[in-house]
Amino acid sequence: MKKKYRSPRFKPYLFLLPSLIFLMIFTYFPIAYSFFYSFFNYSMYTRKPIFCGLGNYVKMIHDPIFWQVVYNNVLYGAFTIFPTMFLALILAILIDEVKSLKGFYQIGIFYPTVIPMTAAAMVWMFMYDPSLGIINQFLGLLHLPQPGWLGDSKTSLLSLIIMAIWKNLGYYMLLYLAGLQLLPKELYEVADIEGAGWFRKHYYITFPLISPTTLFIFIVSLIQSFKAFTQVYLMTQGGPGYSSSVLIFYIYENAFRYWDIGMASALTSVMILSLLFLVLLIFGVFGKKVTYSLV
Amino acid sequence: MTVVTLIPLYLIIIMAFKPGNVIFHGNYLLPSLKLFLGNFKVVFESAPFFTYLVNTVIVVSGILILQLVLIIPAAYAFARMKFKGSGILFILYVIQIMLPLEALIVPNYMIIRKFGLIDTRISMILPFIASGYGTFLLRQVFKQIPQELEDAAIIDGCNHLKFLWYILIPLARPTIVAFSIVSIVTHWQDYLWPLIATNSPEVRTLTIGLGMFVQQESGADWGVLMAATLFISAPILVLFLALQRTFIRSFMTSGMKG
Repeated sequence: MKKKYRSPRFKPYLFLLPSLIFLMIFTYFPIAYSFFYSFFNYSMYTRKPIFCGLGNYVKMIHDPIFWQVVYNNVLYGAFTIFPTMFLALILAILIDEVKSLKGFYQIGIFYPTVIPMTAAAMVWMFMYDPSLGIINQFLGLLHLPQPGWLGDSKTSLLSLIIMAIWKNLGYYMLLYLAGLQLLPKELYEVADIEGAGWFRKHYYITFPLISPTTLFIFIVSLIQSFKAFTQVYLMTQGGPGYSSSVLIFYIYENAFRYWDIGMASALTSVMILSLLFLVLLIFGVFGKKVTYSLV
Repeated sequence: MTVVTLIPLYLIIIMAFKPGNVIFHGNYLLPSLKLFLGNFKVVFESAPFFTYLVNTVIVVSGILILQLVLIIPAAYAFARMKFKGSGILFILYVIQIMLPLEALIVPNYMIIRKFGLIDTRISMILPFIASGYGTFLLRQVFKQIPQELEDAAIIDGCNHLKFLWYILIPLARPTIVAFSIVSIVTHWQDYLWPLIATNSPEVRTLTIGLGMFVQQESGADWGVLMAATLFISAPILVLFLALQRTFIRSFMTSGMKG
């Protein structure tokens, strides 16, 4: 056998090197960059960054807009994550049990995930139109109050939440559908023999056994809720006022409207830390409690 | 429920083919009897949507190809090689799954600017190519392939690269396809990063194009806007309808945990 000119011990690192370089440049260096410049007064207008210690963070906690934005982000997260997960699970169970038209239901509920958020924003802007939009026309027919939706500070965030539910529902439903296929069929047969009804059967068997999927969807949707930029930018610009602004949009405004890189870096650091903290918290609290499949 | 979720798509399609002045006459929920293409004519005359389409295809396929080139070897190293630091290095890839690049736009903008790549197509590609998610997904599959197969291949004179190319990649095909579809769908939607990384229409993508079109045509009729909306969604929708089963299966397994 020919002697290899390179020690095989280097091989794994050679395989990793290309991706590692890009991972460092576009993920880890940026994280370090954000933490570093969060301690600087750094505006694109002033040429040199000036060290200011915790100055940006002090300014941040005294900034009412920051708290409004955080509050909106929490509301947006809570009211997109849990309703979507619940609906997705119910729909997955129903579709799993249905005999015909399975494909039609799957496609009809899943397609919003596939179309671009920009396109979704466009058609929902039309549907939310206070006078011409289909939603208010429908409410009018039922003689119900017709809210101003995107143009009203009381309903602007809610409008974004409703659209987000529609957009993500299909993806989570498919994940649940995949999870359901792994559950042991015998349990349901036993439950049927014992005479358990539909509701009891799913409450006692499906809900606990599907919890690994639920945990996964929880994490995915949490990350999603921090990414809500496109719809905010296109549909409300965070308004009216700051009623529908979220953290990522506020970062964008600070960086690319006010060119305040120091503040934007501080906000980015807060976002990175809260995201990682929440993910680890969810894993820590639920990770162990999750019931793993019997097989 | 399915009917409710289908309403937006239905509205896009019927409105795109109706002249603006009749959209709100009578019942706008009914499709028009004649196929009206005037809206599309307005769309193409007022903004370079074909350029946007070409750019989107370049960016999306560029991301996918480079992702595969980078993550397949990385996943292979993590799945089938023993080396120092593999645990810590793998954690670096996993943490990236939890940190969407949207969170890092500010520093990434400064980096791309330093490289002098602002307003280029490549700037929209590079930040996404080292996918921790893809590495994780492929590692799971590569790990499941039995050791005996590798031993046999080595006896037959395969080196790592040959084993990867001729045996592992074909065996992992379904997962590679699944990852590719998720990647295409995800990056067809990219908005925030292309928005700040580019500023001229020659390099911009469909989603940004639609956003600019709306601002430029503010007060324009909904028929025209829906025609543009349909145009940017159509390629991905057609792909979805043509490959329904593959799409559904891909997204179903995209959450696969090992």
